[in-house]
Order: sequence, then structure tokens, then C-alpha cells
Amino acid sequence: MNEDRATSPPGAPVLSVRGLSVLAKQKKLLDNVSLDFAPSSLTAVIGPSGCGKTTFVRTLNRMVELTPGLRVKGEVQYVGQNIYGAGVNPVLVRRRIGMVFQRPTVFPMSVFENAAFGLRLIHESDDEVDKAVEEALERAGLWSEVKDELNRSALSLSGGQQQRLCIARALAVRPRVLLLDEPTSALDPAATQRVEATMQTLKREIVLVLVTHNVGQAARVSDRVAFLHSGHLIEVGETAEILERPRDPLTQEFITGRFS
Amino acid sequence: MATPTVSKSILDSDNIRYDASARTRWRLGFDRVIGWLLPLLFVVAIAPILSLVYYISARAIPSLSWQVITSTSPYQTDAMGVPIIGTFELMLLATSIAVLLGLFGGIATAEFLSERTAGWVRMSANLLVGTPSVIVGYFGYFTFVIFFGWSLSLLAGTITLAFFMTPYVFRTADLAFTSVPSHIREAALGSGARPYQYILRVGTPIAFPQILTGIFLAMAIGVGETAPIVLTTAGGKIPPQTLFSPVSWMSSLIWQNFAQAPSTGLPTIAFQAAFLLLVVVVSLNVVVRIISSRYRRRLEGLYA
Repeated sequence: MNEDRATSPPGAPVLSVRGLSVLAKQKKLLDNVSLDFAPSSLTAVIGPSGCGKTTFVRTLNRMVELTPGLRVKGEVQYVGQNIYGAGVNPVLVRRRIGMVFQRPTVFPMSVFENAAFGLRLIHESDDEVDKAVEEALERAGLWSEVKDELNRSALSLSGGQQQRLCIARALAVRPRVLLLDEPTSALDPAATQRVEATMQTLKREIVLVLVTHNVGQAARVSDRVAFLHSGHLIEVGETAEILERPRDPLTQEFITGRFS
Repeated sequence: MATPTVSKSILDSDNIRYDASARTRWRLGFDRVIGWLLPLLFVVAIAPILSLVYYISARAIPSLSWQVITSTSPYQTDAMGVPIIGTFELMLLATSIAVLLGLFGGIATAEFLSERTAGWVRMSANLLVGTPSVIVGYFGYFTFVIFFGWSLSLLAGTITLAFFMTPYVFRTADLAFTSVPSHIREAALGSGARPYQYILRVGTPIAFPQILTGIFLAMAIGVGETAPIVLTTAGGKIPPQTLFSPVSWMSSLIWQNFAQAPSTGLPTIAFQAAFLLLVVVVSLNVVVRIISSRYRRRLEGLYA
């Protein structure tokens, strides 16, 4: 470990969202959301389509700024530093807070180069890259499947393998937070199961934030569920608590499938 | 693999500020240099255009009047009503032909022809775009004026200009139809649409803005062309009466004035013609911008 590693009391939140609002031209996409993310946890963000779940995770690593016309108000603290504060480099933010998207986004390169992509941007030495790629593929649960074909084109992998490769690519720069935006919505049940298993291992190591519209998935992998509805954080709590005894009628309606 | 085995400061640093490391600082400095260099290069790039616009406007605007633009008196040398009418007619006819050919050609290569044949057609179109306009003019002269015996006429000019404009329409139409997202195309064909029904009901609405852009682009390029017209139809003193009458053309007005008196400099009328052409070309480009930005917003959801 080195001195740059932020020191915070054990159990203190890695990410802490304070009064976060996102404003489009005429609409509030997120309205005054506050939420903490403790180390080694998996929080599922659920809610109907258009409720702002994707916008929410995209504010957590400043990806939201890539959409023109949106304004962000409030704070997101990463180990005590506001990522929207003055002098903060969004590139470094995204190295610490990685992201995986709905559809697999492998680049047209070999499996190895895909996993090494982030490291190459930082000019790591070849030895370092070799080690880090193996480690990342291992953590993403893909190593045993691809270790003999690292030079194969990543595009020839199956959808589920591609998605785990994207997770490996995000993990290779060793982020402390990984945002997953409906990572299994384009995958078949078997591939979904693999990705879910990967998430379950990973949540012991880093902070995972999972956006999903699938209540079953939230029940299977998450420790905690946050329910969003039209930009408002309606309630948040232990997974079993929220899914079995929701306090708010909106949550109740959503998880019993009365609207999606 | 619970604990990472590699330990490297830059990866594990939680410092997310710009001054996190010497390397970030160096990159930031580089970023700043580029940030200055780009506007500088921008100025270098647009300076010639601005000076050209100024050069022409300064000589054209002071004496430009409604009478100069509208007078169609046949022997007046300081009015351009006749070339304006000629240009309008020629453009209208040539654009119609170019749109018809280009559109059908683009649909054919995008939807119906085999990859091999389509490849040949695309290559020919690209070749035609790359052909110097003088060559197209000579081709028109020998084929239509001499061989078909149409003399210097509206018809010969129209077809030659259409030759010049068609590949521009074709290329955008081809691109527009091939870039309709394949899942949309398959959804249409999968719900039992015949190919032509897919093209009319689904493909065209999606490809339309891009095609329209291509048409206006072809017009902007065509209206400024001189050689194909000078060689196939020129010197009409009155607006054309039939398809076989000669036509007067805006940019050939400039050319003829230069050819008659290359050393004494261009008369004001040439600058006025140049100025009007400039206005037309700029307007066409602005229209293209407006259309494509308006439609792009409407179609955004398709590509999600």
C-alpha cells in the first residue's frame, strides 16, 4: 500500500452521495438523492423504466457529463473527496470508479488487449500488464475459459464471455467501485448466472452498484436495495427487508409486478 | 484471488485531483498547448475563406441593385437576369435527373444488387466524383453537342451537369440506405414486408434526411461548376425558348468576362455574379445543416 491510499475508518462509506439532483432542460431526472455505499457491498438500484437508475449510476463516476444538456447539483464523495469538486480530474475518477454497460462493449482487439486496455493507457510495463490481465480475468471468472486463447479476437467470444471480459477490463485498473448498468439484460439465463456468480465474488472485495430492472436478480445477489421512482429515492434497506416488507406502496407495487 | 498481487502506486492511488502525479501534470500542460494550438490552426484555416468573401463582397455589394439582378434585356452587359433564369432552369432540370438516377442507384446498390455488382457501381460513382469537371465537360461536348448534334443547348448542358451531380446524390442515398440499422430492416422484412414496401414505408423515412442532405450538397456543388456548362451550352442572350436553345449560366458569366479581358481585371458584373453564387452556395449548406440536425434528433432513439 502507498501513502496515496486514502485512509478512512473501517466501514466508512467509499462513496457517499449527498443531495444529488440531475436536471435536464425541463425535467428533473434525479431529485435530491442521498445514499452511502459501504466497502465490500453490493447495492442494487431498482425501479421502473425511466425512473433515473441509469442516470444515477452515471453520476457516480461523472459519465453523466458525456451527455450534453444535463446539470448535476449536489455532491458525490469518493473517500472524502467530492468528485465534482474543483481540481478533480474526471479521468482519474473513472479509473477508481469503473463501469460496465448494458450490452457487452468489447473492442475489436484480442481478448488480452481488451483486458489490458486500461493498463496500456497508464503505460504499465509488460510484466505488470501480464500479471494484471491474468488477475483481472481471474476475478471476472473468465480466466479458465480464455487462458489458452488470449490472442483470439474478443468479438468471437459469446455474449456472456464478452460481458465478463468487459468486467475484467474494468477491474484491470483495480477500481474500488464498479458500476454495473443492467449488465445481464442482453444475456441468456446461463450467461446471466455466470455474471451473477462473478458479482457475488467481487462484492467481497470492492463496492458494486448494480442497476437492474429484474427484482429476482436483486434478490439473488444484492445486500441492499434502493428503489427509485421518477427521480426520487423512495426507500433503501436490506434486500430481504425491502423485497419482503416494503414500507412504501410504490415499492410494493413495483416488486409485485403491477408496473414496470 | 481475493487480494491483488500487483502493487503499483499509480493504480492504487485514491488521489483523483489533476495534480495527482507528475505525469498527470505533464499531460495537463500538453493539453493546454493543444488547447492554444487548435484555435490558432482554426484561424489559419478560415482566414483565406474570410478574405475571399471580403474581396468579393467589397466589389459587388456597393453597386448591387434589384435592377442588376432582374433585368433580362438581351444586350445589357451590366445586368444578369438572363443568366439567373438560365441557371435556375438548368439546375432544376439537372437536379431532377440527378435525384432520380442517384436515388434509384442508391436503393439498388444498398438493397438489390449483389455485393460484387454494387461494389463496381460504387467504384464508378467514386471515379466520377474524382473526375475533373473539365473532362466531364469535354465528354458532354463530344457526346451531346457534336455526336448527337444537339448544338450548344439547354439539353446538352442539363445532361452533362446531371452526370456531374448524380454521383453525389447516389453516394449519400447508398450510404443512407445501408446505414439503416439492420435490426430495423430485419423487423420490417420479418413482419412480411416486401422489399419495396420496406423501402417505401420504413427505409425512406429513416434515410430521408441524409438523402436530402446529399441532394442539397449536389446542388451546391453543381451550381458553382463552370467547365461542364461552358463546353456544352453557353452564350444565350435571352432565356432559353426550347430544350435546344443555348443557355446563359452564372459562373460562365464570370468565366467569359475573364476570358474576354484577362489583363484589365474583372468588371463589376463578374463580382456581382460571384457574390450571388456565394450567397446561394452558403444558403444551400445552411439548409443542409438545419435539415440534418432537425431530423437527427427525431431518429436518435433508433440507434440505442
